[in-house]
Amino acid sequence: MIELRVQPADEKHICISGIAPVLAVVLRELPEILEQRDSPNAQARLFPNPTSADDKTNQEWQQMIRPELRHLFVSAGETVARDLANLAGNESSPETYEITFPVEHLKAWMSAINQARLILAETSQIDEENMNRVDLDPHNPKDLAAFRIHLLGYLLHLLVELEIGDESTNSV
Amino acid sequence: MSQTGTIQIDETKTKEELATPWNVVVHNDPINLMSYVTMVFMRVFGYPRTKAERHMLEVHNKGRSLVWSGGREQAEHYVHQLHGYQLLATMEKSGA
Repeated sequence: MIELRVQPADEKHICISGIAPVLAVVLRELPEILEQRDSPNAQARLFPNPTSADDKTNQEWQQMIRPELRHLFVSAGETVARDLANLAGNESSPETYEITFPVEHLKAWMSAINQARLILAETSQIDEENMNRVDLDPHNPKDLAAFRIHLLGYLLHLLVELEIGDESTNSV
Repeated sequence: MSQTGTIQIDETKTKEELATPWNVVVHNDPINLMSYVTMVFMRVFGYPRTKAERHMLEVHNKGRSLVWSGGREQAEHYVHQLHGYQLLATMEKSGA
């Protein structure tokens, strides 16, 4: 059985090992997924209004804050895309992949993976019911999106665990 | 005299507005992980893990959690940070 692990490689690097081929594929797709951040549905989710009813504040926010957030999100994605060039097969375990990246990139990794999960959910219109299904059909595009969200979620959870300690993986 | 009175009224109004706290509210979404949301509350507000988890569970169970109250400028700062972590957060005037 393949065990996905996230652990310090040394004081300055983090290693993700035991990456199953299917997760390696999804990770390599991350830059492509993140490019969909400007689709209408994804934009609404990634750049929400700060108030429920104050149109003036919302408009100012979208003008002032949105470009800054977009830059932050793009920057995180670019950092991870560069790191992903190092994703390679594990010599001692040919069926798995591993990747090592600098500790200071951890926040970018969590941001990029979370962005990708949200973008996949919005572009495939995934709701709580879809997320809770266990009988996923690989031929159903919506189920396939949910599967990719879950896969990335497990890795994100391990990254969060490394950052703050153990916790459960249920969605909020 | 009347001018002074007008200024006092404006000052009073301004003080009242400044004194009215703003609430930062985080809303439920089905995608963000519970552990991720807990981490964000710890990082953004400096909450200890138990308090961060309490707010996370409130979001999960009740659909929203009032995570902070205070001045408008600081509320904007926190909402900005929460959006930076891709959480659904809004600010609202207390009692509104």
